[in-house]
Amino acid sequence: MSDDKKNPFEEAYHRERKTRRRAEQLLEDKSRMLHQRNQELEQINHQLLSQQASMLKQEKLATLGTLAAGVAHEINNPLAFVTSNISALDEYHSAYHSLYKLFKDIESDLMQDKQERLQTLVKQLDLEYLDSDLPHLMKQTLDGLDRVRKIVLSLRNFSRSQEGDRDFTNLNEGIESTLQLVQSELKHGIDVVLDLKELPKIYCNPSEINQVILNIVVNASHALKDRPNPTIKISTNADDKNVLITIEDNGIGMSAETLNNIFVPFYTTKPIGQGTGMGMAIAHKIISEHHGSIDVSSEINKGTCFSISLPQHEKSY
Amino acid sequence: MKGVIFNVLEELVIETSGMEAWNNILAATGYEGIYTSGDSYPDEELFALAAEICKVLNVDLATVIGIFGEYLFDQLDARHPVFVQQSSDLRSFLVSVDTVIHGEVLKLYQNPNLPRFSYRDEGDTLVMNYTSERKLCILAEGLIRGAAKRFNADVDISHPVCMHDGADHCQLNVRFK
Repeated sequence: MSDDKKNPFEEAYHRERKTRRRAEQLLEDKSRMLHQRNQELEQINHQLLSQQASMLKQEKLATLGTLAAGVAHEINNPLAFVTSNISALDEYHSAYHSLYKLFKDIESDLMQDKQERLQTLVKQLDLEYLDSDLPHLMKQTLDGLDRVRKIVLSLRNFSRSQEGDRDFTNLNEGIESTLQLVQSELKHGIDVVLDLKELPKIYCNPSEINQVILNIVVNASHALKDRPNPTIKISTNADDKNVLITIEDNGIGMSAETLNNIFVPFYTTKPIGQGTGMGMAIAHKIISEHHGSIDVSSEINKGTCFSISLPQHEKSY
Repeated sequence: MKGVIFNVLEELVIETSGMEAWNNILAATGYEGIYTSGDSYPDEELFALAAEICKVLNVDLATVIGIFGEYLFDQLDARHPVFVQQSSDLRSFLVSVDTVIHGEVLKLYQNPNLPRFSYRDEGDTLVMNYTSERKLCILAEGLIRGAAKRFNADVDISHPVCMHDGADHCQLNVRFK
């Protein structure tokens, strides 16, 4: 049988089968493309959500900054006169104490009736206890006021928005000098490992950046208390656009909640009176004002790593 | 089981025994025989068709599945040539099956219920551990033979451990000569 005599239905069957395969191939190609687009969209969506979360956080911090400035201003004025008055009262107490001491010295020389009247009054008013307790009360009050003063100062530092004294700075030098300052904190067997690569000078406020380093290193030293082989590793590096600083410790690490709130003003895990909760908030503010970024990752019982990126100024050299 | 497997089985029967034979097999099993490559169909349907083919051709199931595996490889290669093209030799192709090829299948189809392969390199032998609820190790062997032909590789395939003998996996040793 020649090819011309082929069963027409069979020919049509094969043709249809080829058509179907092509249609199925087309469907598969489109499905693959759809999958790829979907993945791209998911990635973009993830980035958007992350940026949105970051923006919300920035906005929250900015609002807190404004609030902090207002609170600092409002507290500062009454704080000034309360501190001044308490200092004056402390001096008045010295005068009163001298008078009471004189009375005690000459008590026996007084006529008996006057002596009895005075002793009755001293007893009624419990003047002996008042005289001994007043110095403690004054000291505690002055200490409390000093704490309030420091908190207000932190608030003002947090809320201030000014370029300050900026200059072209080698951050490695700043890190080394900051470490000198915290020598006493690092005495308890903490090993500090430096891996400082050559950096271009960047235009920044060196004392502010040093303050950031200091806050992180001090926190790291607290996280390393009673830990085996306590180590803080500080490394610096630079790419085409940024200078990068990482400060890593093998301390107790942070919970997810602490990590989430670390840059929120007044958030602290330290006992009352041992930390204002402003250190990391100020660090974040400083880095943001330098148009940089500060990120932190942490794992319980493994340690914490801060990564700071600061842009190299166009004029850097 | 994906429809494409049924499509290829149909092509094999029609190519070797004619359209009438395929129609008879479908009539005997009671299935409609409408299979779309991207859709999924019950495994039992494939096994029943294979059993019927055994009866018609008067050969055992393992032989049918083995021959089908080789033929399936050629047909899948014709449909998706990129996977063979991106492998330099048989060994790298076989190693890419579990991650690259099955990875692509997973992108296209939900719950394709793919077999799992793990590999161990023993010099001239690639040990492939096969695990699947379907226990289609003979089909896998046929596919490997098809791949070996495609790559012009001279191999011996042995099957010392088998799920059909009660093991939790099958071991396919591909020895390169």
